[in-house]
Parts: sequence; C-alpha cells; structure tokens
Amino acid sequence: MVDTPKVAVLFGFGINCDRETAAVFDLAGATSERVHVNHFVNGERDLSEFHILAVPGGFSFGDHLGSGRLLGNRMRFAMREQLTAFVSAGKPIIGICNGFQVLVKTGLLPGKEVPDFEQRASLTLNNSGRYEDRWVTLEFDPESPCIWTKGITRIECPVRHGEGRFVMPSTTDLDELQANHQIATRYVDPSTEPGQGITDETLPFPICPNGSIRNIAGICDPTGLVFGLMPHPEAAYATFLHPHHTRSDVNEEILGEGMQIFRNAVEYAQANL
Amino acid sequence: MPSNIVRVETTPKLGEGMRDVRGDSVKRQLAADHNIKIESVRSIVGFLIDSEISAEQISSRVDDVFADPIIEESTTDSLHLENQDLFPEPADIVVTIGFKAGVTDNPGKAALDGFLTLFPDAGEGSRISTYITYVFHGVPNDVEVEWLSKQLHNGLIERALFSKSGEDYPRIEYVPVTPIDYSPPSTIDLEVSDDELMRLSEEGLLALNLEEMQTIQAHYRDPKIRQDRAEVGLPENAPTDVELECLAQTWSEHCKHKIFAAHINHIDKETGEESQIDSLFKTHIMKPTLEMKDEVDWLLSVFHDNSGVIAWDDEWSMCMKAETHNSPSALDPYGGAMTGIVGVNRDILGTGLGARPIANTDVFCFGPPDWEGDLPDNLFHPSRVLRGVHAGVRVGGNESGIPTVNGAIVFDDRYIGKPLVYCGTIGIMPRKLADGRESHEKNPQPGDRVYMVGGRVGYDGIHGATFSSLELTEESPSSAVQIGDPITQKKMVDMILEARDAGLITCITDNGAGGLSSSIGEMAEYTNGCKIDLGKVPLKQEGLSSWEILVSESQERMTVAVRESDVAAFEKLANLHEVEATWVADFTNTGQFHVVHGEKTVASLPIEFLHDGVPQLQLESEWIKPTLTPFTPPSNVQHSDLLLRMLSRPNIASKETWVRQYDHEVIAQTAVKPFVGVARDGPGDAGLLAPIHGSTKGLVVSNGISPRYSDIDAGAMAAAAVDEAVRNAVCTGVDLSKVAGLDNFCWPDPIESKKTPDGKFKLAQLVRANRELERICRAYFVPCISGKDSMKNDYGSGENKISIPPTLLFSLFGDHPDVRYTTTSDLKPGESLYLVGESKQELGASEISFMMKEAGEAEGIGGEVPQLPNPEKNLASYKALTKTIQSGLVRTAHDCSEGGVAVAIAEMCIGGRCGAAIDIDGPGEADIWGRLWGESLGRIIVGVKQENRLEFLSQMKGHSLTYMGEVTDGNTLSIWDGDDLIIESNVEDMVSAWKGSLDMTGGDQ
Repeated sequence: MVDTPKVAVLFGFGINCDRETAAVFDLAGATSERVHVNHFVNGERDLSEFHILAVPGGFSFGDHLGSGRLLGNRMRFAMREQLTAFVSAGKPIIGICNGFQVLVKTGLLPGKEVPDFEQRASLTLNNSGRYEDRWVTLEFDPESPCIWTKGITRIECPVRHGEGRFVMPSTTDLDELQANHQIATRYVDPSTEPGQGITDETLPFPICPNGSIRNIAGICDPTGLVFGLMPHPEAAYATFLHPHHTRSDVNEEILGEGMQIFRNAVEYAQANL
Repeated sequence: MPSNIVRVETTPKLGEGMRDVRGDSVKRQLAADHNIKIESVRSIVGFLIDSEISAEQISSRVDDVFADPIIEESTTDSLHLENQDLFPEPADIVVTIGFKAGVTDNPGKAALDGFLTLFPDAGEGSRISTYITYVFHGVPNDVEVEWLSKQLHNGLIERALFSKSGEDYPRIEYVPVTPIDYSPPSTIDLEVSDDELMRLSEEGLLALNLEEMQTIQAHYRDPKIRQDRAEVGLPENAPTDVELECLAQTWSEHCKHKIFAAHINHIDKETGEESQIDSLFKTHIMKPTLEMKDEVDWLLSVFHDNSGVIAWDDEWSMCMKAETHNSPSALDPYGGAMTGIVGVNRDILGTGLGARPIANTDVFCFGPPDWEGDLPDNLFHPSRVLRGVHAGVRVGGNESGIPTVNGAIVFDDRYIGKPLVYCGTIGIMPRKLADGRESHEKNPQPGDRVYMVGGRVGYDGIHGATFSSLELTEESPSSAVQIGDPITQKKMVDMILEARDAGLITCITDNGAGGLSSSIGEMAEYTNGCKIDLGKVPLKQEGLSSWEILVSESQERMTVAVRESDVAAFEKLANLHEVEATWVADFTNTGQFHVVHGEKTVASLPIEFLHDGVPQLQLESEWIKPTLTPFTPPSNVQHSDLLLRMLSRPNIASKETWVRQYDHEVIAQTAVKPFVGVARDGPGDAGLLAPIHGSTKGLVVSNGISPRYSDIDAGAMAAAAVDEAVRNAVCTGVDLSKVAGLDNFCWPDPIESKKTPDGKFKLAQLVRANRELERICRAYFVPCISGKDSMKNDYGSGENKISIPPTLLFSLFGDHPDVRYTTTSDLKPGESLYLVGESKQELGASEISFMMKEAGEAEGIGGEVPQLPNPEKNLASYKALTKTIQSGLVRTAHDCSEGGVAVAIAEMCIGGRCGAAIDIDGPGEADIWGRLWGESLGRIIVGVKQENRLEFLSQMKGHSLTYMGEVTDGNTLSIWDGDDLIIESNVEDMVSAWKGSLDMTGGDQ
C-alpha cells in the first residue's frame, strides 16, 4: 500500500497544462513530477517508478497532423512496453484535452482490457469550426467502471479546444461503448436536475460545445483505469476559478469541485497499489 | 540530397456523423464577410514529401502519420480530386494554396518530425511541404476565381493555383529554389557627397539620416580607428557592409528610440511657453520612475532589461512587457501578429536570467470592420486585418500555453492606414535561484560562451527593425514578414527554464529586432566586448551573406551565455528537449564588437560607438490648439434608441466571438476572466490571476486606451489611458501601493519634413502626452517600468496620406492580497447602486459624438474632452473603494468609459441578466447628455448588498459618492433624471444589440 502515490505528469513538445496538472495531484495528496517525454523514450526514466500517469492538455507538436497524433505516435512506438506494463499493473492513467486526444490516438482509449494500440475512435474539429474557451456542465455515468469519476454526479469546468468532437466509425461501436458504461462523462444542460441531465440526443451549441455524438465529453477503457476527457477539471481546482465566484459572498473554502477526480485516483492508488 | 518527391493527400470522410468542418468554415465566412452563398466547400490537405523513401513504403504507413484513418481518406501519389468515388461531381472552382519558398511551413515541420519517427533513415535534408485545396461546388456565376483565390491567401507569403469548371485540376509542386552563392563582404565608400550618403541610406533600407551617415563617415576618418582596423585586416577607411548594416540596425528608431531621446524645442502658441526638453524619455518617464524607486523596495529592475521587474512577494518577482507589431501586421495580419505575440513572450524569457510567461494581453486598433469606403492600394480590408491578426494572436498564445487575460479592440477609420497590434506578456520568476543568484540580474563574464538557441537564421526577417522605422508604402519588402512557430518556441521555453533553474545561464536575451547584431551587441555591454563567428550560425538556407546572418530577425531564437564549465550540461538539456543550441560567440573585454566569418574578420566596431555613437536628434515642436466644430446634440432624441445604437457600436459592442477563441484559463489561475456574469458574457474589467497554485495571492492586469481624445488634446488622451487602466484595476480590489505601468506610444511621424508638413504639431502632441503621463503617474504612484514606442504609423504620402491618431496604450500590473475578495461587473440581486466620482459636461471626442456625427445628427465632435484636474482626489477614493472590496463588502463594480454611465449600467444589467432603476441626477453642472453619455474620468459604478450598505457608506465617507438606485427584480433598465424617465430598455434587447454587431461568425454551425 502506498501512502503518497507518485504521479508522472508528461511535458515537452507543446504540452502546456503540465504545471497545473502536477499541482492538483499534489493538492490531492500525491507527489507529482513533471517528466519530459524523452526521458521515458530514451530510457533514462521508466514509467514503473510511478503509480499514476497524467497526459496533460496543450498543443503537442502544434496539433498539425490532427490533435495529439504525433505525440500519440511517439508513445505508441517508443513507449509501448512501458505503457503495457503500466496498464497491466493496474495503474491509473488520465488524459486531459490534448492528453485525451493523445490517448485516443495511441489506441489506449477506448482500448481493450490488454492494450493493442489500435486506434478505434477520434476527436475531430468542433462543428463550429472554432477553438473556444467556455465553461460547460458535465455529468457522470454512475455505473461506469471509471475509477476517476466515482461518486461524482455533476461538475462545472471549462473546455478549451478546437478538436473535441468525439467520433467512432459506426453507431454499433458507440452502443457497445455505452453498454460497457465507458462513456464516463457527458455534456449536459445545466438547467436539468443533477443526475437527470444525461441524454443521447446531441444537445445544441454551446451546451454541447463541439457537436460531440451523444454529448460525449470523456470515456474510459474497459478496466476503468484509463480515463480521458476534453474538459479541464484541473482548471476548476479552486472555488475562485469558477466564473460565478463573485456572485455570492466570499467562499473561505479554496478547493473546488474539479479536485474530486484527482482525489479519486490518489485514493485508488492508496488502496490498491 | 533526397530527390524523390511523393505526394500524399487527405480529406475528411463524410456521412454518418462525419463532416468537413474546414470547408464549412470557409463557406460560412464567405457568407458572413461578402454575402456569397456557395453550395458546398470541401477541403483537401496535401503533403509533398521529399526524401529517399519510396511511394510504396510511404503508402503502407500513410495512416500512421499523415491521415487519421477514422475520420480521413488518404491517397498517395495521386490527386483526391481525380477519385470519382470521393468527388463524383466536377468542381466549379478549385483553389490550391501553398507557401512561397522560404516561408515557415509549421504543418510541414510537424509532419517531417512525425515522418522521421517512422522513417529515421529518410535521408539527410528530407523535407515536407504542405498545401491545402478548397473544392467549390455551386458557386454563383458572378464570383471570379481570381477574386476568390485572393480571399483565401496572401500573395506576399503564399502562392495559389486554381482551376475553373472544365479545366485540369491544379497540381502544386515544389518551386525550384535557385541556390544562392555566398558573396563576401563588400566595402562601402563613404567618402562621397551628402546626397550620395542619403542615397546609400535610402536604397539600402538603412533608415539613417544625413547627420547619422556623417557621424559614421567621421568614425572611419579617425586615425586611431584606422590603425585598429588595419591590425585586424579590415579596410582601414571605410566600413564593410556588415558594419554599416549593424550600425543601421543598432541605431534604428526601433532600437534606439531616437525621437524619445531627441532634444526638443517646444513652443506652445496657446500659452506662449517656449521650453527646451532634453529627451522626453529621460525627463517624463525615467526620472519620475527613478524617484519613485527611491521610495519603495519593490522596484527591482527598470528600463535596462527586456522588461521591468517588480518584487511580488519574498519568493517571486513579476515582470511585464508590451510591444507593437504594426507594420508586419499590415502586410501579413496573421504572421505579423503571431510574431508579435511570440516575440513579446521572448522578451519575458529574456528578462533577468529568464522569466516564465504566464499571461498575455492583446490590444488592437483597426479600421471599422464594416468599412465600405475606398481602400488604398496594398492595404487589406479592416475585416480581413481583424480576422488575420486575431488568428495570429490566437494561435501564438494558445499553442504557447499562455492565457490571454485582458485586452481591447478599438476602431477608427484612420487605423485603415496602419493597424496597431499591441501584444503584452507578464512573466514570473523566483527571486533567487538555488545557487543564491538573484534572478533579475544578468551576470556574464568575459570567457562565457554565447549560444544561439531555438530556430535557425534565414532570409525571412531581414530589415525588420529598419523597415518598421519607415512608413508603409506599396513597395514594402516581403522579407520583413515572417510566420511564427509557437511549438519550436515552446520547446525552447521549456528548455531554458530548466537551464535557468539548474543555474546554467549567466545572461540571456531574445533575438528580435536587429537579430544577433542587437542581441549579442547589447549583452556585450556587460563585459565590454564580444567575438562572434558567423560561420558557426546554423542557417535555414545556404548562401546568406555575412551581414544578412548578422541582422536577420528570424524568429524563435534566444541568445544565452553559459560558463565554460556548464557547457556540457547545457547542451545535454538542449538535446533532451530537441532544441538546437549552437555556440556562436564568446564574451570578451576588448571593447570591440568583433565579428568573424570563419577565419576572416568582417566587422569590428567599438562597443561604445555602436551603442552611444548615435547623434541626438534636434527637433521642433509647436502646439496650436486645434479648432473643432463642437458636438451639439440635437433635441427631440429618444435616449432609449441611442442606448441600443451605442451598445452595437464596434467600440462598445461585445467582442465575445473573438475573445472566446483565446485560451484565457490555461495555467488554472484566472480568477476574473474576460467574461463574467450569469450567462458568462458580461464584460470583465481587469484580469485577476492567482499564479501560485493553492494560494489566493493575486496579480491584477489591466489596460487603458483612448486614442480619439487626441483629436482634441493628446495630453488628455494620455491621462485618460492611465486613469482607465488604474480604474479597471481598482474594480478588482488591487493593492494600490504596489502597481506598475507600461507606456506604449504609437504615433504618426512627428518629424517635420516634406512628407510630414505637420510634424511640429504631431511632436507637440507627443510632448503634451508625456507631460500628462508623468503628472498622472506621479499622482497615482504608478512607476512606468518598461515601455516602447512606434513612431512611423503612417501610410502613403501627400493628399492620400493616412496618419493614425496619436495613441498611448497604458498597461498596468499590480499586487492583489486575495483573489477571493474581488468584484465583477455583473449586477447581483438586491444590490444598491452608487457612483464613485463625478459626471462633468465632457462630451468632446466621446463615442456618442462620433456616432451622431457619422450619422449626420451632429456637426462635430469638439468640446470639452475628459480631464483629470485633481488626480490626488481620485486616488483617495480609489484607495477607499479598494479597501471595501478587499474586505468583501463590495462584489460588483464596473468602470465608466466609452458611452459613459448609460453604457456602463447597461453592461452591468447584461452581465446580471436583470433590470435596474437609477437616477442620474447628482452633484455638478452637467446636463442630461453629460450625465448619460459623457466620459468623465474617475468614475466607477458600484453595487452593494443591503446588509453591507452602512459599513460601505461609512468607509467611503468623505469621497465623491452618489446614490444612484437599485437592482430590480424585472428585466428592464430604467434611467431617470429626477422625475423624468429618460431611458427604458429591456435586458434581452440590450443583449442582442451588444452581442450582434461584431459576431461575424456566419452562424454557429
């Protein structure tokens, strides 16, 4: 049993949310370290030193050949063994925004029980054609095996992307994903009652900010250990980052609702690794 | 050299939830900007791969790198357009756009990186070039293919091929590049007539005046200099082209700020004053700041570094810099603006021993986006400038992971001649490094090695500094335009910050204007000498001559000094981050700026002459008060109608569509965002950051700009800019005892000449602006710690000349004790409303005056322009107000600027999605127009909850405060003048007026 799980937060090549992602894991009770991708690629470091892996947001390689694609390739070809070992050791992985795109393009998401590094889905240009930064409301599938989202009903946090529309080649693929409860989180209409917001019908812009099929915001692999999402829960780590924080009296509590996702993983690691 | 070129094309799959968003966006934009309805637009992305890898090999791996098999169709060695399954219908028009030779192709660079991951043995010199093809179906008959192609590309940097219905589809190829042979340095004979000297300056784009050319001439007549030159094997009595170019860069207006350093004879015809000013900069900016520095302990570094540094707390210091990139943005809005933002980021990285950029600010001045008048040759329509500049700053900021937290867009007809693109960046650094050195101080020693880090040197960016010191003409050089590469820069930033923390850096600066000649030249002042070897400098293409290597402003480069003992560690870090770092020079203490190219000396200039040799300009300034037709508002006007019209004015309207495309929240620190309120679309006044994760200590960022007041008095314009920036910061609850400012002047040429017959007046405007800047900054105790000036913002000459209105952007950053205790502009239920400050009869050059004059409802815009006669009084009430905010009594505040009280309260209702009832009656002599629409400075509208009223009133006692009214339950804003209801407006009507006019998206989907 580990008291203080160690978290590897990838950085380099245009990843740019590495500092805040590292910080929220520290605030959640872990010890994080920003590790350059090439340290893992060249063998100076090994993923096995860590209990949790985070692939943060950013614009790896400028997203020029499709978001997350080139970093996904580096991981797929140069870190394949380390990643396979990490997943089979039952260690959690999160990909946020560009990190989610990377995990989808490496094939770790939606993935198989044992990673085969086959790409099965994609994240493509928002229907609006625009990159946007705006706050969204998320709800979570209570029956999902995802260890990152346990016990969370609804949170608000920002999306900041131009390529967040989740697509799969066929409807049956989506049905299967949904039946497995791998669609861990979706965009919902904030005016619905918490717990009642999830729907398969694509919600209008900007509630569903990118036109994602079935309002998919994030998915997990069949084990529930690998989780990726387009929105940024780490950007809602503090109450004062919520756009409405001035609409009520000053909240003395500093930590915000985005923290729960990171706490879940830290607690999982503490209990299981 | 590889010579096997393979073509790969990808296009989005269609059907079952798949679509071509890129094509759809082009379709929507043509509809929004030109009202052209096209049936469908599809897009194809192409790659030309020049390597030793065969088409068969590439074809088998194409879905591993070039195409996403889930969403894209790919083809190797053929055109998608010839595939009838994908494109069954022949296209009406096809346009293919690629980059011109030598222009940065970022997707091509990324593709090559991905390609080499799969094919490491692709061959040295492998390259990939990208292009995009748009396929149009259902094009209206009156749309010309040439016109359409022009809308889609910029001929300065891109080339387009097109085909019409029935013609063969375009097939773009590499342009053969003729190799250029290196030509050795030439000697320039300066023993010529004065006319000939000026011809040398003009034809060589040196931008040096006669006195400067004569000073250089005299330098080469000095027997001591001649002797020194003979010893190093240089021509004794004449400069090499390397030396002359180096002097031109270093002495350019852009680098030396010669107008701000000039001696000025100032005559004021209004008052009869005649005075002498020895440098506006030293007199009105430097002196006040240095005097303030003596009074506080938090001004760590002012003026001499790439940005000014303040101590934020015991552990961290903050720095800020703002710059303009006007001329490049006029020629290529996208590339010009992008290099503007990533360039100012490098100023932060080059401050002290390296600071980390944590926030950007962007302020733009454009012509009206709906302009229907004539456009001079070579200028883009303002809407295209807006789109391009916005896209450049968006990509530059977002891809660098730096949030854009505050800014503005200002519109005026005269900015058609030259758009202003102000880019600012804030940085953070630890006060002390692990080895005990203070990180705001550079400390190179002779013997330290100088590395060039990041990008390579190419033809792009030659003559940027001297070009920006000339006016824009139809013949402006294309080499002055570049496209930034944010990912190369991001890798470099990551690497340099690690090197800093490891204690490996002794000195660092960026390569901006003037390239290596400026960066190494400036750093060489620390040790009094350097020796550069141009032969070591890595090049983008062979054949650059010595002077071109020295002065090229190719982007994404830093110059870093490293102790010899740290070289191995430094190079290892560069290697890890895949950043090119090349040893190109050494610091010496010889007193010489010594340049060799391989074995041969190509330049040797005394450091002192290089930096201090430029003669002081002698300028004439004369102030004659302009006579303007006064703004006389008509009677019988419905103010409710005026309110909706004002809300849709581009200068007031919501910029949400544009600003939302900036990432304003990366780094997870933005506590007050550009958008506030119930629907998160109300205006934010200043940005408020909590840069240390887990801590509530804050930093405020704000801007003030009010260029149209210069039509009446540029002094008032400057005072208004400072007050607006301070007022915005006050609204967040800033700590006014630790606030620093940045002055960024953009002026039309103020030197009297044949081209500029009104130069004396423009210089007098500059004198007045500086005097007011000093007066207000002293009164508010806001030291200017860094600044910049751009002094040639004119287009053309003679009758067709367009000069921008003299414009000062005042940017500010300040301390904040706790970001939880702040306000936003949206009204909250149950609040009482108060006006801090006083409305005066100040309608001159106001937004309402311009609106009514443009509509023919008023004759002129003249009258009293807002003034700040008693800034000490304002400061006292600002201080009292910030205390009430810091104690949590006030959660709502919004400053009154363009459009006065009426627009401010309307914006607050929009943010709160609620109504309000206020009475504008109050102290002072102003009439209804002055109280509703006047733009008097020093005013803030404040909302206070009932339970906090008494305490608020007691804390604000003795300050100018007027009770205005209440937030109401309904959704109607009603504004009363005593018993008369003068404005009644529904909040939803106000929302659509305010949000409609600058949307320009052509719809969401």
